[in-house]
Amino acid sequence: MPSQHDELHKLRALQRVADVALAYLPLDQLLNELLERIAEILGTDTAAFLLLDESGEWLVATAAKGIEEEVEQGVRIPVGGGFAGRIAAERRAIFIEDVDHADILNPILREKRIRSMLGVPLFVADVVIGVLHVGTLTPRMFDSADADLLQLAADRAATAIERARSFHQRGVVEMLQRSLVPEELPSVPGLELAARYRPAVRRGGIGGDWYDAFTLGRGAIALVVGDVMGHGIGAAAMMAQMRTGLRAYALDGHPPAGVVDRLNRLLLTLGQHEMTTLSYAVVDLERERATLVSAGHLPPIMRGPAGETVVLAVEGGPPLGVSVAATFPEATFEFPAGSVLLLATDGAVEVRGEGVEAGLERLRALVEVSDDLSDLCLNIAEGAVRGTAADDDVAVLGARLELLPDTLRTTWPATADTLPTMRPLLRRWLGRWGAAEDEIYDIIVSVQEAAANAVEHAYAPGDATYEVIGSCENGQICFQIRDRGSWREPRGTHRGRGISMMRALMESVDVTQDEEGTRVELRRTLGREAA
Amino acid sequence: MSELARVDVEWHGDFPVAVVTGEIDASNVAEVGAAVRGLVTNQSSVLVVDLTPTTYLDSAGINLMFSLGDELRSRQLSLRLVIAPDSSIARMLKITGLDKTYPTFPTVEAAL
Repeated sequence: MPSQHDELHKLRALQRVADVALAYLPLDQLLNELLERIAEILGTDTAAFLLLDESGEWLVATAAKGIEEEVEQGVRIPVGGGFAGRIAAERRAIFIEDVDHADILNPILREKRIRSMLGVPLFVADVVIGVLHVGTLTPRMFDSADADLLQLAADRAATAIERARSFHQRGVVEMLQRSLVPEELPSVPGLELAARYRPAVRRGGIGGDWYDAFTLGRGAIALVVGDVMGHGIGAAAMMAQMRTGLRAYALDGHPPAGVVDRLNRLLLTLGQHEMTTLSYAVVDLERERATLVSAGHLPPIMRGPAGETVVLAVEGGPPLGVSVAATFPEATFEFPAGSVLLLATDGAVEVRGEGVEAGLERLRALVEVSDDLSDLCLNIAEGAVRGTAADDDVAVLGARLELLPDTLRTTWPATADTLPTMRPLLRRWLGRWGAAEDEIYDIIVSVQEAAANAVEHAYAPGDATYEVIGSCENGQICFQIRDRGSWREPRGTHRGRGISMMRALMESVDVTQDEEGTRVELRRTLGREAA
Repeated sequence: MSELARVDVEWHGDFPVAVVTGEIDASNVAEVGAAVRGLVTNQSSVLVVDLTPTTYLDSAGINLMFSLGDELRSRQLSLRLVIAPDSSIARMLKITGLDKTYPTFPTVEAAL
């Protein structure tokens, strides 16, 4: 019969372990404080936490009292081996009365001449995440009440560890997300882009999904959605390499199939076995076409200008990193103004126990009824296709080629970088009025000469802007280029050819200057022989 | 250099040929100019600039060619331009008179 004094002592002990104030300590302090209290209550000489590493195969000494060397030396015990390893493998409390005769792997325990030990597993949602054990230098019989108290401390610690880990992991995820997905999508006149990445925050770590979008020059935009198999920091790091590799090959001028082929070989040479799938699309704004390559990835979805939505039949190749002999054929599709192209990872559609076709059809149906591209990407990332938030991570990227209005009104920051960005838009707009190649070229050069002047004569390099307004009346194209600066004839030996070029290429060039700034008006009738 | 234009050098014997691929405008003319000027040597009396793979050239690019020609001339060197006949680039050279100031050729072989 336990005495009343014993009962009171036990209750106090339980309160000390369950102490709410502990919750406010940082994890390492909390573990050390728990060890202090446990050792004191149970009257033991040592106490230690060992936590399972990311592989799930090793226990690593994380906090210790009385055997601090354990932590300093980073002692690792295989699951299933030794005292702590057995506790983790057998998922139960183990008591050893005489250490000398037991199966002890850790030399520190032997050197300390520990005689008796008691250890319990740390559980989170029925999964072992570590071990808590105590030891004495003199022989000691631990009873079931001691084991219960130790288990209570272990549960307490497990909860705190899990909370700290998920908090830490969120931090890591956010950091990775910030550094690995584009800070902002490129601004491409006439093309609306939207994207979402939603990490799967679960034990085992984050996933390897990513998206990317960048301009390739001459009106081409690269769109990428990929998925490195596996989870954790390793998958994320591999994702970073894939993303960088793809950009490097694409900017080097390789066609889409060549980019994916090189990426496949790159992955194989890295000696990693993380399989990667990806969709790579290059959108040609002027020709209103998209060229796609798939490496074992979820097929893209295309929504036409009238709303008709299809799963694109991209034959593609196998996932990257599987075979050096793999080939990745390109598929080119019309991408008329008003169309939407959507790339996603399978986390967006996959439901366990269901074929991918069903999820893909739901994705297609969702794209079909969605008018707002940003909302669409957000909804997909949040699990709209699956019905619930995905347990895998999700990357989704959408692009809509905007319909161009009859009158093109655009405002540009007064920097020279706007010139190449503007050209594909002007080509598209002129093309829709039936301008021939030569006419398109001449008009663009003229508009850009006026724009270059506006850039050069802008008030300040700061937030000065200029406007370019295009219209067409009875087959005559008219462009106005307006700025708030004052026109000056360029000085220098080889300057000032812009004006003579404009006059040679256009029917009329009018320059108006007043206190509001400079306005250049250019006109040219289509289908007429150039001057 | 930006993805807009690339300057590659091809050596034909002692003659350097600057092959300009892509688009030249005010945003990258300085970079293109620096790359082309880097190919000028006193070993060769001629610099050939191949504008056949050039897809856009406005007054910034035209001015660059005039300046380059002046610089070469002051060093007793000469500039030869390779232009695809009937191309938009050829039209730009024509309206600015660049084709009258410096000899133009339809192919690199013809320019050598």
